[in-house]
Amino acid sequence: MLKIKPGLQRFYEYRDRVKNFITQIEQSPEPNPILLRFYSLVLENDEKTIDCIENNKPLLSSWYGNAPEIYAAMDIHAFNVVDNILAHQPFYNDLEGMDKCAIPMDMCGLIKLGVYAVEVGIVPTPTAMIAMLQPCDAQIAIHEVWKNTDNWFNVPTFALDAPYGNSEEDYIYFAGELKRMIAFLEDHVNRKMDYDRLRKIIEETNRQYEAWAEYNELRRSIPCPHGSFLASKIGWIITQHITAGHPGATEIFKLLVSDAEDRLKAKKGWIKKEKIRILWADLVPTWDIPLADWLEKEYGAIVVMDFQGYTPYSYIDTSTEESMLVGIAKRNLSEVPMIRQARGTIDIMIEDITRIVKDYKCDCVIFPGHVGHKDQSASISFLKELCRDLGVPLLALTVDNFDPRYTPIDVLKRQISEFFDAHGLR
Amino acid sequence: MNEFSYFINTNSNLKKKMCNSKLLKEFKEIANNLINPALQSWKNQNGKVIGCMYPFIPEEIISAAGMLPYRMKATNSSGTELSESCFSQINCTYVRHLFDLGMRGELKFLDGVVTVNYCDHIRRLFDNWKSKINTPYMHFLSFPKKRGEEQIEAYRKELVKFKISLEKFFNTNITEKQLRSAIQCHNKTRQLLRKLYELRKSKNSSITGAETLAIVMAGTVIPKEIYNSLLNQLLKDYNQAEKNTKNLVRIMLVGGEIDNLKLIDIIENLGGLVVADYLGYGFRYIWKDVDEEGDSLTALARYQVMERPADPRIFGTSVERNDYIKKIIGQFSVEGIISFRLPQCDLWGLDQINLSRYLKKNKIPYLALEDEYILKSIGQLKTRIQAFIESIREGKYVKN
Repeated sequence: MLKIKPGLQRFYEYRDRVKNFITQIEQSPEPNPILLRFYSLVLENDEKTIDCIENNKPLLSSWYGNAPEIYAAMDIHAFNVVDNILAHQPFYNDLEGMDKCAIPMDMCGLIKLGVYAVEVGIVPTPTAMIAMLQPCDAQIAIHEVWKNTDNWFNVPTFALDAPYGNSEEDYIYFAGELKRMIAFLEDHVNRKMDYDRLRKIIEETNRQYEAWAEYNELRRSIPCPHGSFLASKIGWIITQHITAGHPGATEIFKLLVSDAEDRLKAKKGWIKKEKIRILWADLVPTWDIPLADWLEKEYGAIVVMDFQGYTPYSYIDTSTEESMLVGIAKRNLSEVPMIRQARGTIDIMIEDITRIVKDYKCDCVIFPGHVGHKDQSASISFLKELCRDLGVPLLALTVDNFDPRYTPIDVLKRQISEFFDAHGLR
Repeated sequence: MNEFSYFINTNSNLKKKMCNSKLLKEFKEIANNLINPALQSWKNQNGKVIGCMYPFIPEEIISAAGMLPYRMKATNSSGTELSESCFSQINCTYVRHLFDLGMRGELKFLDGVVTVNYCDHIRRLFDNWKSKINTPYMHFLSFPKKRGEEQIEAYRKELVKFKISLEKFFNTNITEKQLRSAIQCHNKTRQLLRKLYELRKSKNSSITGAETLAIVMAGTVIPKEIYNSLLNQLLKDYNQAEKNTKNLVRIMLVGGEIDNLKLIDIIENLGGLVVADYLGYGFRYIWKDVDEEGDSLTALARYQVMERPADPRIFGTSVERNDYIKKIIGQFSVEGIISFRLPQCDLWGLDQINLSRYLKKNKIPYLALEDEYILKSIGQLKTRIQAFIESIREGKYVKN
């Protein structure tokens, strides 16, 4: 019997499940056009991955913040080891599987899942790997573990070294890293860099981020036109986890804008009586839906912004190859969610919280204290002082964004309830 | 005569049995305390002391400026109460203890603190330190996360900024000649310590792992010229010492910046002898010299980025690290490896997986341990270490 290639069975299942989602949406009384387009893009992406595995086409293992614009310009398909595992988490026993691997219990669920996934072979073996060495320590270490796993031992690897600062000198250094990455890909994946194609892709991403920024402006409105987390989740995936510069992604952002505008014109908030506006100061957790539902129903509370959706991207100048690479360097160093807030000094996180609280008129800040974000947990005194200065209450939790078992949802609900009560936010 | 010459005078009559060496006892005292007589003497003479927060810091630049580089540790910390408002339970206890000591003023003799973005805990320790503790001079160096010529150049630029910053703040001038001289002095330390390590290769070496750690640590908090002189004397004493005749299991200790003598004492009180290591205060600190030719800042950058034996903070180095470990096992006749990690340390946490896989393939007995910076689970540690040592002794090692 022929042995199925690593990851293939899983990707068939992901594909079939996404197809099912699409069918269900299409058959619903009022098909949601945003979700339909979103899942279509996800399906297209999964099918590309399957095609690469089945037909031995180049397939790159990469990570958000590794300049996906360049892969698209080189016509290289990339996948992220944990992306689908997290997206399909409720349908598998991966969390239990990961517990059986010899990974320290105190580590981030995403990292543990990544180690487990490569070890047990539920992800494809890539043609090459681009390692991301930021924003946290575990990112360096997980790639080293993968290189020491039998399945991936011989996978050619290039690592992008991110500087600590946000100066022009830092961007130029990282642009140099990108050039070296291009040379590596040309050597190991046998695809050539096409700068004209890169220009078109960047121009499309410029339009995407412009639309995303426009959408975020609309979320400032009281009441907020859309619910917690959803746009952040969609935006993250269509900018970082599918082929960069896809016009379908731009269309989704425009649909989000259009829908939000319609709701605002009709004076319709996401919930009837919006009472509490929250800044969730981290990424969107995998257990966001039950939390968001409970916040809305129990308290009329909405997460109006989170770090995953707060993406103050700047326009990339496409006039020269150099300007494009420096622009991508800046985007991927200083603007991609989480990398933006966690890579360097505390200043950016402080700046973002300040701006979000003021611009989105937040009533409170919830700092999840994700177990993997050691830097953020060591930033708590800065957050306390900042929130005191801003005049908003702060709730500091300890959770695992990627493992709902770490802090059970009932415990979270109790902590949040007590916080709302204590600050008269009910 | 400075206060530290006391050691040299009182030690000169020692002939045998290093366990009775007064000089060695003094090194242990230095390692077990934050302040030592040489440091006090330095301060009394208005000498400046710059705290070095973790590795990859070019201490030679500080020495060249006529200041004392001081490796920061949280020895004898009794709690983390004053850290709790700034750090959480998911931050490592080294950082929390060190910050607590800083908040209590125990490290107020420091005129400055310099660090690199070693890990997520350390980089925020620096931010918190800068914000809450009144140390006059603070400097942060961005250290690359992989090796390469471009990374050497990037770190060299950081060193230029550091040198200028020191010169400006302390109103001094660091010449190329001073840099070269400092490099030579620090290299001398490394060379002498390598001689000490050579002694450990012998089957009947009298030097213990705890003694070695104490000796290395002492050198990171006293002026190098004094240290080198003492180390020369100590080497002579060790050469004259009685040989060990006990049948001890030869252990290699692997881990980060372990500065806890008690951990090694536990191993060595249970029938083990730590004869080798891959530690920050050990092999990685001493094994290679900085190039004494050419531009000094380039040489220092090259040393830290490319030449110094790496730890997991530098991506892509696991193969090299495994090779080092394999060589050390052979050269020091190591029978088993113990690795130690602080909880919440992601770098060493995942590296324990790599190490475990590598050693399993090579059929080398291995024990992975973790505990807090100030050891909290001594009973459990003892049980596991004892079982590990006995299993090696009896040839019954089973992969844990």
